[in-house]
Amino acid sequence: MIRFLGLRLGRAILTMALVVTFAFVVLRLSGDPALLILSADAPPEAVAAFREAWGLNDPIWQQYLRYFAAIARGDLGQSMRDGRPAVELVAERVPATLALTVPALLIKIGLGIPAGVYAALHRNSFADRAVMLLAVAGFTVPSFVLGLVLVLVFAVGLGWLPSGGQDSWRHAVLPVVTLGVGGAAVLARFTRSAMLEVLGQPYMRTALAKGVPWARAVRRHALPNAAIPTVTVVGFMVGSLLAGAVVVESVFSWPGVGRLLVVAVANRDLAVVQCILLLVAATMVAANLAVDLLYGALDPRLRGPARGATA
Amino acid sequence: MSDLPMDAVPAPAPALAPGVAAPPARRRARLPLLVAGALLWLALMLLVALAADLVSPYGYTALDLRNRLAPPALMGGTWLHPLGTDELGRDVLSRLIASIRMSLLIAFGATVISAVLGVSLGFLAAHRRGLAEGAVLALVDFQAAMPFLVLALAVLAFFGNALPLLVLLLGLHGWERYARIARGLAVSAGAQGYAAAVRGLGASPWRVYGRHVLPNIASTLIVSMTLAFPEIILLESGLSFLGLGVQPPMTSLGNMVGYGREYLTRAPWILLAPSAVIVLTTLSVSLVGDWLRDRLDPTLR
Repeated sequence: MIRFLGLRLGRAILTMALVVTFAFVVLRLSGDPALLILSADAPPEAVAAFREAWGLNDPIWQQYLRYFAAIARGDLGQSMRDGRPAVELVAERVPATLALTVPALLIKIGLGIPAGVYAALHRNSFADRAVMLLAVAGFTVPSFVLGLVLVLVFAVGLGWLPSGGQDSWRHAVLPVVTLGVGGAAVLARFTRSAMLEVLGQPYMRTALAKGVPWARAVRRHALPNAAIPTVTVVGFMVGSLLAGAVVVESVFSWPGVGRLLVVAVANRDLAVVQCILLLVAATMVAANLAVDLLYGALDPRLRGPARGATA
Repeated sequence: MSDLPMDAVPAPAPALAPGVAAPPARRRARLPLLVAGALLWLALMLLVALAADLVSPYGYTALDLRNRLAPPALMGGTWLHPLGTDELGRDVLSRLIASIRMSLLIAFGATVISAVLGVSLGFLAAHRRGLAEGAVLALVDFQAAMPFLVLALAVLAFFGNALPLLVLLLGLHGWERYARIARGLAVSAGAQGYAAAVRGLGASPWRVYGRHVLPNIASTLIVSMTLAFPEIILLESGLSFLGLGVQPPMTSLGNMVGYGREYLTRAPWILLAPSAVIVLTTLSVSLVGDWLRDRLDPTLR
């Protein structure tokens, strides 16, 4: 178990290092930052001063190391548009995004997992097919189309809810529903296939053969085993709590991290983009680590000294 | 929708205890209705994309300033512009046709790129093992761990936007899945007689993988491509919707939705037509993909 966790921790650190390197490489490949920010016809003295100030004249490996060191200190540079620290700009948007994504996550879990389990237990029934068809539809309707149709119906048509902005809880209803429904569909589909796979396992047959009632076999044998792959998907959803609402926030003009990212990309405000990239990566990596810990709790095979044979 | 012919397996198998696999019933080669409809829709889309210039009633940038924001024929407009016009009097049907061509072209290009990239890296990992394999697997982890939309936005922020870059970028979506599949299948194929036999005859690795292993795993790969295709359409339309994908004057389905959003209350048809096309197309590809998977490769479930 310790070794397993150590391995996972090492992997998490490696992934973060890869993300930082990715940001650095892409940043440098994209052209001369001085010319990008100062516009191409800036006076040469200004360009030179800028290069000096930002250390762009040093050898590339020194810049790389300095970049790592700065990030380790939590210094992600200033927004190139309004001069405030990028971290600050991003941090003040986080609560707004979480206000959408956390309730949406609850909808996904509360709706998606029971629907998937039910569909699997009643395979090929009418309910199963309805759930699957809805799940495919939920997966193929892009969030901006769903969001705009909801706006058309509930804001423009019926006038029940506002179409955008962030003044009261009523403003959050449509974006949360938009986010939640699509995710629930994905989760239902995934849970169903995980359950079906588990129900076909020999240990289920054994349990039933020795007289365990069906309900108990499902509860004690099928659900815990199906939980393992499902936890991975939920972990991915938790990891994208910050980045999962880019499109939906734009549809509803919700001032969260995703909206900030889109505006920063359009303005080529690189410090902000990079800050969000790293933040999202860190959330994702942390969520994956948490999933690994949960695996240990869910799967006794991982608690032993050896990780077991891998096929 | 009481009798959805989703998977038409007739023969209700004799009641077996749950968990006991029934002997594979011989499936009749009848096309489920839903899948047939999906295939028809896809054929129509392909035809429209290929013959865009022939079927398009107007140029997609042509202005008709006397008929601005004209409603579609079925919403009280005239047949002059069957799907209405936008704020500049551009024909929505013509723009829709041009958008379909653009979106499909991008999605095809990106799917092919990611499949070729993923399969090559997967084969490389299976062939070389050791360090190369570790590097490929680390990259796979990295890619799988990041929400792709954020990565794509970051690259667009750094490099600016151009159509070839966009296609390449979308081509980086999902390569890790092909890589995983190709590596796994190539490793297990390498242990089988036929690969060893060909190698024993002195074939180069290129020949072993290209001529012998690839055809044997092709059906799995094709199914994966069908499953990845709608994701790429959604990704492209999402980026274009945000104004960060295909740039005007070119147009794509997501672009039209993004533009139509400004006229949501006055002219919802600008947005509804491309939305419907996106949904129907991705739905159709998914249905066909699921059906293909069930027929060709039950292991992917």
